[in-house]
Amino acid sequence: MELMNNVKIKSKNLNVYYGEKQALFDVNLDLNEKEVTALIGPSGCGKSTFIRCINRMNDVIDICKVSGNIEIDGVEINDKNLDVVSLRERVGMVFQKPNPFPKSIYDNISYGPKIHGKGETKSELDEIVENSLKKAALWEEVKDRLDEPGTGLSGGQQQRLCIARAISVNPEVILMDEPCSALDPIATAKIEELIDELKKTYTIVIVTHSMAQAVRVSQKTGFFHLGKLIEVGKTEKIFKNPDNKMTQDYITGRFG
Amino acid sequence: MSNEHTVKSYEEELRYLIDSVIKMGSLTESQLVDSMDAVIKVDKDSIDKIIKSDDEINKFRSKIDTQIMTLLVKRAPMAIDLRETISSLKISQDLERIGDLSKSNAKKVKPLPLDLPEELLGNLKRLGDLVIKQLNDVLDSYVNKNYDKAKEVWEKDEQVDDLTYIAMESVIDFLSKDKKNLDFSTHLIFATKNLERAGDHITNIAESICYLIKGEYLKGSRPKGKVIQQ
Repeated sequence: MELMNNVKIKSKNLNVYYGEKQALFDVNLDLNEKEVTALIGPSGCGKSTFIRCINRMNDVIDICKVSGNIEIDGVEINDKNLDVVSLRERVGMVFQKPNPFPKSIYDNISYGPKIHGKGETKSELDEIVENSLKKAALWEEVKDRLDEPGTGLSGGQQQRLCIARAISVNPEVILMDEPCSALDPIATAKIEELIDELKKTYTIVIVTHSMAQAVRVSQKTGFFHLGKLIEVGKTEKIFKNPDNKMTQDYITGRFG
Repeated sequence: MSNEHTVKSYEEELRYLIDSVIKMGSLTESQLVDSMDAVIKVDKDSIDKIIKSDDEINKFRSKIDTQIMTLLVKRAPMAIDLRETISSLKISQDLERIGDLSKSNAKKVKPLPLDLPEELLGNLKRLGDLVIKQLNDVLDSYVNKNYDKAKEVWEKDEQVDDLTYIAMESVIDFLSKDKKNLDFSTHLIFATKNLERAGDHITNIAESICYLIKGEYLKGSRPKGKVIQQ
């Protein structure tokens, strides 16, 4: 039998409602540690809603209700008493459009560690900034202009800056919501190369509309449709020979 | 295939590829029938026509290659479409090889005497008929995406092996009776072997079809007849 990594995140009968509208229906999905899981499906299928449950981003939407369980390392994170700030320290997120703070490159990275009480001295912070930028494969490009605004970087560099920012607080999980959809192919390739490297340290969940990207970067793929997880399995299997006809119709472009 | 693609031209390109394979298959089958006929009837007049038909088959092969490259570049096919595309590539390769073997057999007609004894050709004809039937069945299973039929062809190659063995034995018997028969008997031995190899390509095609339909390779090794075991 092939060795599988441990389960890092487990969702059990997860249901999400935006007011009257149910966005997720009984989603049961295991995400393995130090592996990339890709979530695919047409717009509005619930894949982004699902990853937003993993760092409780849905909490900020008043009408959003979540039922069921999500466990990280066996610990329920939907618990009302759970400290959401420390959860988000463990579960970083990168969005579709790069969103650096309107601050210097250095401050973009040091901001998180500072508010989480990491890096008390300047030299500690310097080290975190350098390591985060190195892990995000951006250090060589920006090391001589750390005081310049992050917003002055190219789109691809800004996205890697956002990844560096997510890494700076030493998370365990990185959620990526279509991280390359605003980038050109070269910047996309750099991010994909980076994801390959990052998965050695972090558990990564990526939402993508690009099938080719899902095949390239992930080991596991889940297909969502109308709020339901239709099929999940090894990426190769999903794209060569999926079990479900709906999955096949979607990935081969026969939908709707 | 299930529903149609949202992009109509993709649907058409795939359909066109499958049609090309079907047409190439039917040309290959006609050529095999003609070459068998030429051998059995020692019909030297048809040799050139058969050799020429091989050019047509080769042209199909190049055309299918180009279609596949275009599909891969333009569509990056997935799942069933990917399997359809890759199977077309493999099946067309096997068909081309069968065409080469038919051509080779047609060429062997030239040195044959016109008065070959019945018992010698009888076994060869039985083998030829079976190989033709196998090719016909496997192409049928491709057109109708019939997994069971493709698997049946794959299993039946055992009979091709057995008939090859019998046909070989009758040629060798004949040869041992009179050394003067050596020259053309050698050609008949090669022709028999070519049919057995055509049978192997047909089983390859059956395997490709099974993979195309179910996405899994046939498990285990196919049953083998005497000629292989010896």
